Amino acid sequence: MANRGGAAQRPNSQTQGKICQFKLVLLGESAVGKSSLVLRFVKGQFHEYQESTIGAAFLTQTVCLEDTTVKFEIWDTAGQERYHSLAPMYYRGAQAAIIVYDITNMDSFGRAKVWVKELQRQASPNIVIALAGNKADLANSRAVECDEAQAYADENGLLFMETSAKTAKNVNEIFLAIAKKLPKNEQVSGAGSANQGRRLVESDSSAKTAGNCCK
Amino acid sequence: MEPRFAGMTFFATSHAGDVCGTNGLPLTPNSITIYGRSQILRTFSHPNLCTYLDIIRGKHERTMIVSEFHAQTLALLQEPLPLLGIVKLCHQTLTALSYINSHDIVHRCLAPDNIMINAKGNVKLFNYGLYYMTGKGSDVSFPIGNPRYMAPEVFLVDSQIASGPKVDVWSLGIILTEQALGVEQLWPELKLAQLMRKVLSLINCNSDTSVFSRIAREHSCWSKYESLPQSLVHLINSCLQLNPLDRPTPKELLEFPIFKEYSFDEYSLAERPDTLVETTHHLNSLPLQELYYLWRLAGGDVQSELKKQGLIRTMPPILSVPRLVLLEGSVLGKRRDQTSLLDLKIIPLSLESLRNRLAPVPVSAYYPLITTKSDVLNDAEECDAADLPLIIRERDTEYQFRRVVLFRRLLEGYPHTKSAIVREARKDIPPLYRGRVWAALLEVEGDIEAHYRETDKETPTHTDRQIEVDIPRCHQYDELLSSRDGHRKFKRVLKAWVERNPQYVYWQGLDSLCAPFIYLNFNNEAMAFACLSAFIPKYLHRFFLKDNSAVIREYLAKFTHVIAFHDPDLSNHLQEIGFIPELFAIPWFLTMFSHVFPLPKILHLWDQLLLGDASFPLYVGLAILQQHRDTLLSSGFNECILLFSDLPEVDIERCLSDSVAFYCCTPRSTTFRQHERCPSKAGLKNKPCHPDLEMSAQTVAELQAESCPRISGADLLDLLDSSKFPRPKVMVIDIRSPELYNVGSAPGSINIPHSRFDLTQEIPQLPSCPEVNILLQNRGKILVVAGQGDSPCAIQIAQIFLRNGLPKVCVLHRGIDVLQLANLLTKPTAI
Repeated sequence: MANRGGAAQRPNSQTQGKICQFKLVLLGESAVGKSSLVLRFVKGQFHEYQESTIGAAFLTQTVCLEDTTVKFEIWDTAGQERYHSLAPMYYRGAQAAIIVYDITNMDSFGRAKVWVKELQRQASPNIVIALAGNKADLANSRAVECDEAQAYADENGLLFMETSAKTAKNVNEIFLAIAKKLPKNEQVSGAGSANQGRRLVESDSSAKTAGNCCK
Repeated sequence: MEPRFAGMTFFATSHAGDVCGTNGLPLTPNSITIYGRSQILRTFSHPNLCTYLDIIRGKHERTMIVSEFHAQTLALLQEPLPLLGIVKLCHQTLTALSYINSHDIVHRCLAPDNIMINAKGNVKLFNYGLYYMTGKGSDVSFPIGNPRYMAPEVFLVDSQIASGPKVDVWSLGIILTEQALGVEQLWPELKLAQLMRKVLSLINCNSDTSVFSRIAREHSCWSKYESLPQSLVHLINSCLQLNPLDRPTPKELLEFPIFKEYSFDEYSLAERPDTLVETTHHLNSLPLQELYYLWRLAGGDVQSELKKQGLIRTMPPILSVPRLVLLEGSVLGKRRDQTSLLDLKIIPLSLESLRNRLAPVPVSAYYPLITTKSDVLNDAEECDAADLPLIIRERDTEYQFRRVVLFRRLLEGYPHTKSAIVREARKDIPPLYRGRVWAALLEVEGDIEAHYRETDKETPTHTDRQIEVDIPRCHQYDELLSSRDGHRKFKRVLKAWVERNPQYVYWQGLDSLCAPFIYLNFNNEAMAFACLSAFIPKYLHRFFLKDNSAVIREYLAKFTHVIAFHDPDLSNHLQEIGFIPELFAIPWFLTMFSHVFPLPKILHLWDQLLLGDASFPLYVGLAILQQHRDTLLSSGFNECILLFSDLPEVDIERCLSDSVAFYCCTPRSTTFRQHERCPSKAGLKNKPCHPDLEMSAQTVAELQAESCPRISGADLLDLLDSSKFPRPKVMVIDIRSPELYNVGSAPGSINIPHSRFDLTQEIPQLPSCPEVNILLQNRGKILVVAGQGDSPCAIQIAQIFLRNGLPKVCVLHRGIDVLQLANLLTKPTAI
């Protein structure tokens, strides 16, 4: 089942130059394909029966732009509405977010809009948000028109692509687009890798209060 | 020994190429659908039915069936049956048919070779599940049934229309006709196409000439026909009614007067005295399911037996290479031999190797003695395998034989044998009876069927969508759980649980929790539901509240304490890099590890888990961390979190023995949780004690602020009891001032006044004094820091001990004062 469509070319060849680290969080309704997108991006794999995510999962992947190496620290969150109260713990301090919906499910698009609003209100003001209409391989059963999503994304200043974790369409592209849009100057380079994680934890107590107010 | 079961095989229709359903998931292979659907057949138990023992999936959509088998069949009888025999044959066949009809199953291939006759001369219907398990023929590309015995309407109606019970009645009518007329086979010379035309031509019979009389004439058996008793002719005529509306059902036929007219109970359809002697072998006293289970352990392999007998033919792979494969996955030019899709051959599976394997077992082992107090008496005869690793014990024929026989008898005595079941389960649980043993350990009792039946599992609710998207992702590598029937059962049990627990809601993860119970009780949804309903309050009390954050945070705080108590170095490291349980352990505990391990591991893990109390899973979590201790200690945050994002290999048996060891050396009160279900009063051993000696609730913030757990006064008193522990396991560190200490203190305690500690340093050092040396010499004992009441100093000092790598540090809840309640304070003796 795995590895359909062949191993994706991993976008992380070695280059020298600046190394930037960014914390990225994936949000969206359950079963829209958040974990599948990450798995395709990080390991080049696809599992038809990708297990549900409880709490959150953490993965890292590096992409190379011209002179910069961008390391993503990716928090893949649980989609079920009930896990919502945990989400601030993961998106707090994130420099980028991908909000995923399923193009065959209108409700998931509605849920994505709610996430966009929440991030605009709660997350870091400079956060780069991308909207991903996943399951593009199922265009036959499409419920969300591409134009509609594009218009919404333009209105809100979001990156937008229709993706397919299954066929690998636009998966690397959306991460690359985010990497390009992220500011590369203020980042610490090299050894500070542990800091990102610790920052997440230190903000834990404040995350709790944030969690309560946005229920 | 005669073979007791046999194998047969067929192919399901395979889906063409790479087909997906509307949800984007690949279509479930037909063989999996068949696999799930056919499980229910294994529960059928009727004196006139061959029991189904197993359904196995092979490669390329092959399905193999293992069923009870008897060498004698109606087709093999040399002589036609006499009248009594015919009546008995008819009666027993009808009872069997009406039994399967009551489960909405139609035989559809009733023919003399599917009517087996056991050693006692009774009917045993065979292959009655084929039509049902193949979705009334829709999952296979071959026709089901023998045209000679097929009712005419089967040929006439669209194959989409399912056959009903009356189809079998026609087949029985033809079989009875053959027997009554003494004809070995009707129309023996006709080829297949002619045969079908023949059956259809019977439609021309009218009210004057019955089908039966016409067949009698055609076969020049008129005189035989005339000599038959009226009641039999009437019976056969009823069976051979052309219009199904006029034909009675098996149930109705059983009411016919002919069955009262003759007493046929004593009559044996086939006398075979030679086999009667053999049936006395003790192995034959085992239920067939056990026999088959042991047969497989003794090396029995259905697939290779079928291969040996030529039923499965392997083709050189080069011949099955397709000519053309399109990019999107469809395959062209791969030819498949249509004739091999179904082979009616039945291959008896020999029991000889099992018999040889169990030859050394004494007869007494077949009948273990269990006393009324449910003690197992022949423990001494344990077999050699008892000390081997679990994985080997589970594959050892003789060992499993003993376990299976013992557990069957214990389960028969449940609930009176509860304590013996628990004791034996501590050794191990035989996989064959795991489902029932778990139910016993979870104390599932009462009319669970009725309770489940009365639970609403159908009304749509707003959690349906979530359940529906979660089920197709839950342990889908397993054939049972990925089958259509598996999904249906999943949904019903989950909906039933949500319906029965209005105080709780469906959290993702509940599906994983449900999976082991469905897997083990696939044919008993009520049992799966009852087990789930008993499991959750025991281990996950309040975890499924709509707002469960207080419950989970408390649990994770206690997990942090458990790590600190047993492994200060690891605890300090994880603390330093900020690797907190909130980031990795929620799926562990919320699903009791059922989300993070594959089923075989979950089964072994829960075998032990179910024997422990609600605190046991904390130690399992600790044992998992311990297995990756070196990696964790040498890694930073990112590496640690990556390690557990995809749970690495864990040796479950070692993990469990470690967990038990941790559990046994930890005072219970150190894992006290206010959200745990109140332990039953019986567990407290009638020892009422002062409430101050017991633990009391702390807020999550308090728990998180304290690095070490607290111990209750009662637990400390217990540990100080020198009659129980001649060599003390505990040392009290009294941090009060020497003046107070000298008035009265705990036996064997040492005094390090809190003023000696510099609490302002960032990395606090232990003060240097003789008492601290004594403390360090007693490393490994439980170190109880006790102050005046709930003094914040005690908590800080415990933390200093922890930071300095001292294990088993805890704080006395409510301080030294509680020992006064027990009049335990004595004047300290000089050290």
